[in-house]
Amino acid sequence: MSANKAARIGEEVWKTRIDKVNAELVTLTYGSIVAQLCKDYEGDYIEVNKQLEKMGYNIGLRLIEDFLAKTNMGKCINFKETAETISKIGFKVFLNITPTVTNWTTDGKQFSLTFEENPLADFVELPDDGRAQNELWYSNLLCGVLRGSLEMVQMQVDAHFVSDVLRGNEVTEMRVTLIRTIDDELPPGED
Amino acid sequence: MTIYSFYIFDRHCECIYIKQWHQQDKFRPTSSAGPSGTDSPASLTGDGKRSSAGSTLLRSNDTNPSRPGGRLSVQDDAKLIFGVVFSLRNMVRKLSGPEDSFISYRTGAYKLHYYETPTNLKFVLLTDVKMNNLRVVLHQIYVNLYVEFVVKNPLSPVEHHGGEGVAVELFEMGLDGFIRTIQD
Repeated sequence: MSANKAARIGEEVWKTRIDKVNAELVTLTYGSIVAQLCKDYEGDYIEVNKQLEKMGYNIGLRLIEDFLAKTNMGKCINFKETAETISKIGFKVFLNITPTVTNWTTDGKQFSLTFEENPLADFVELPDDGRAQNELWYSNLLCGVLRGSLEMVQMQVDAHFVSDVLRGNEVTEMRVTLIRTIDDELPPGED
Repeated sequence: MTIYSFYIFDRHCECIYIKQWHQQDKFRPTSSAGPSGTDSPASLTGDGKRSSAGSTLLRSNDTNPSRPGGRLSVQDDAKLIFGVVFSLRNMVRKLSGPEDSFISYRTGAYKLHYYETPTNLKFVLLTDVKMNNLRVVLHQIYVNLYVEFVVKNPLSPVEHHGGEGVAVELFEMGLDGFIRTIQD
């Protein structure tokens, strides 16, 4: 499946089959979740990253079913197609953004998503305590969502941010690595 | 046009939902007794499915007292059906590539319709032989009922060990209504 076709499907599904909510509602809700986590963990941003990833993971486990139901997608042939599908259909239908797929490694198992826009991070400034800028990955929920949803379609991946405009980097970039393909489980033997 | 039963299997090969609309005497001509001609929905309850107790033929359990005529219990039926679709699906894939999946098969007495999602959920419907292909119906059950009422139900767990969280009222009612529209 070509990138163009993916873009077309994404556009089509987003226009016809998706209930929309106010973007600011999403931004503010997500913001208050992160703020609350920072409070709960008393500024332990490493732990906040972890919790966000975990929340995302649990979202991903369910979101994939909704994604499949709405888009009627079948299995991707290879990881390249998966990347295009994530960017042009997945992010499109749920967040109305299409992060760019770049920086493929030659073995085709690792790519980057760069976000020109990120609705989760609108209006956000990281706390000015000298640590958040270096430790907090504000949108880490998204990494978890990818990990959870891909796990359900038999791909174990690692996803993490490597840069974020909120930290003063030039781009927001997420690195996604395919670790392995999960085999079908076999039924328990009759013994 | 009759629909006999409906099964869902999850990615751990576990049967997470069973529904039967008619006693299946019709496609097991050897069995004689049993209350016939009535709608008797039998839903899955948790116990006894994962336990590996002895021969399938001799097993009976509380949820389904042994039936006359050597009939299998509902759970054992489910196990056999899983075995059939699992093997068929793997064979089909070996023969014609991983993209392919089998859609249905027919015997002299019943027809089995199959739909599998990319997340390895398997939906199975048993009907009489005259029924048209119901793959679309299974897909609709997944999209409009399973995803809406089971996956999106915040109180339902992600994994459905022992069928937990699947047989919610909205899903049951939706399924029953939907199947009725096909039978008529």
